[in-house]
Amino acid sequence: MRPVTADRPSRASRLQGPRPRRFLVRVSLGLLVVLALLPTLPGVGDATLFTLTLMLTSVAVAVNWNLTGGFTGYVDFGHAAWFGIGAYTTAMLMSLQTNGPQIGWAAPPAIVIGAVVAGALAAAIGRATMRLKGPYFSIAMLGTFVAVREIVRVSGGLTGGGVGLTLPPYLNRPLFYYVELALVAGLVAFTWWLRSTRFGAALVAIREDEVGAETRGIDTTRLKVTVFSFAGLSTGLFGGLWAYQNTFVDPDIAFVELRTVDAVMGTMLGGLGTVAGPVVGTIALFWLRELLWAHLLDYHLIAQGVLLIGIVLFLPRGLVGILDPRGTSVTAMWRQWLGRGNQPDEGEPDEGEEEP
Amino acid sequence: MTALLDARGVVKRFGGLTAVDRVDISVGSGEMVGLIGPNGSGKTTLFDCLSRVSSIDSGSIRFDGVDITGHRPHQVARLGLARTFQLIRVYRELTVTENLELSIQWARVGTAGLFGRTDPATRRRVDSLLEFLLLAGLRHERAGALSGGQRRLLEIGMALMSEPRLVLLDEATSGVNPALVVEIADRLREVNSNGVAILLVEHNVQFVSELCHRVVVLDRGAKLAEGTPRQVMEDPAVIEAYFGAEGE
Repeated sequence: MRPVTADRPSRASRLQGPRPRRFLVRVSLGLLVVLALLPTLPGVGDATLFTLTLMLTSVAVAVNWNLTGGFTGYVDFGHAAWFGIGAYTTAMLMSLQTNGPQIGWAAPPAIVIGAVVAGALAAAIGRATMRLKGPYFSIAMLGTFVAVREIVRVSGGLTGGGVGLTLPPYLNRPLFYYVELALVAGLVAFTWWLRSTRFGAALVAIREDEVGAETRGIDTTRLKVTVFSFAGLSTGLFGGLWAYQNTFVDPDIAFVELRTVDAVMGTMLGGLGTVAGPVVGTIALFWLRELLWAHLLDYHLIAQGVLLIGIVLFLPRGLVGILDPRGTSVTAMWRQWLGRGNQPDEGEPDEGEEEP
Repeated sequence: MTALLDARGVVKRFGGLTAVDRVDISVGSGEMVGLIGPNGSGKTTLFDCLSRVSSIDSGSIRFDGVDITGHRPHQVARLGLARTFQLIRVYRELTVTENLELSIQWARVGTAGLFGRTDPATRRRVDSLLEFLLLAGLRHERAGALSGGQRRLLEIGMALMSEPRLVLLDEATSGVNPALVVEIADRLREVNSNGVAILLVEHNVQFVSELCHRVVVLDRGAKLAEGTPRQVMEDPAVIEAYFGAEGE
């Protein structure tokens, strides 16, 4: 038993908890300013803005995925389903026709309805699937994703089937970019606020020990389904925006597995269960992918796979974790991997305590 | 004494194994009851049934007059029944303070409270419990960095944080150094003297004898004996269950 120490926070514990570190806040604000000024720079045309808007979409999907996968520990392999549902609902509403003339909805209400439909379906499916634990939940969500995509594919009368749907074009790239930037900034700020509330702390408690959380009075089912539904709604919103700027949807591009894989990779690269992790990780992944694409065209997917394995092995706390001196650094991970160091987060072994 | 917890004919089976076999157990308000028995006698399984972590195959459980047989664990906790675990369950990635702050009485947390931050009253209660459990110096440490004994104390603190009327303590002294066992006993006496009922699973028979008003003995899932600590310790059936038949 260690002696009781003076009432002084350790270096490690001062730097954790819900309050974001000042350094990260400054970096985030700086990044936001740079991103806001980008369209005004010479040489930044519509193509660049389109790519950046897609990057912001990926950031948003990763931030939403992290709410369940990172904070609550429920790894959702079917998260891209909510994106596709938002995209398709928006596309269907905007391209409505009655015997000829289009009577489609305007984009803003169509996108909002798309988000609401995605959120409502996430709530309904989450109530059933979030009773499952670990890999059972992940596989159930993967199954849900595949099922939703196939339903969309075979419902040709409504969804256009495999042919897809075309939306009225509106190609104001700077507007799309600024709308996405504002929404992503709002989403990240919301996530930070949520993590600082009892609700956010309870989500982490569920990840740490769900049975313990339940026996201490936390209605874990309600909280899990609430955050899962919100993640579905928010991803559905970005799906609708994506459909509008893409001007076309079909099952293969609206429901693409890689969107979930990117969210997982981006979040893990940045830092699972942290507020900044999905943002930092997805931007880094986007940049890295462009680099690999440019220099290793034939092997870029292999290189991405190797990257994911590397993250899991050497950076379990992600890029944000490198800045966190809780004993987790690249060298500490190397030592651990080589069997020369202790597991950084296990603390002292217990006296006589059995671990499950 | 009014029964705060009253379980009748509780049966829990795992396939062909009956882990808890028609057990009746009650705990009165402000009472401290010990639950002892050899390894595998069903003590922890009974705790899981009483706290609704496990469902039961038959029987009934009432807490403060409310039938909680079909309740979920968080509903039972909100009625005032808290518990600790044989295998310590704390939130390892969170600090000691955060662990306690998350163990509040959630029945009083409305939707607004859910999206709020820690209020001054909760902070004061956390401070007082940290002092009470000798953990004040470790308030900012991650729970995962504490020793086994400190984590035991933290888990007891988390149970007390919700201002329960009954605490089920599962092997509160397991893995704890002897000096700390005395401290834990003192703390439990003080908690009990404030009107909180305690049902205590323990292997440390002396600890139980010194603390408890009444002891229940389980053996192979069934209730073997019940009485004052002295009566139980002198019961030949209990002696046989613990040490084997005479002459063996």
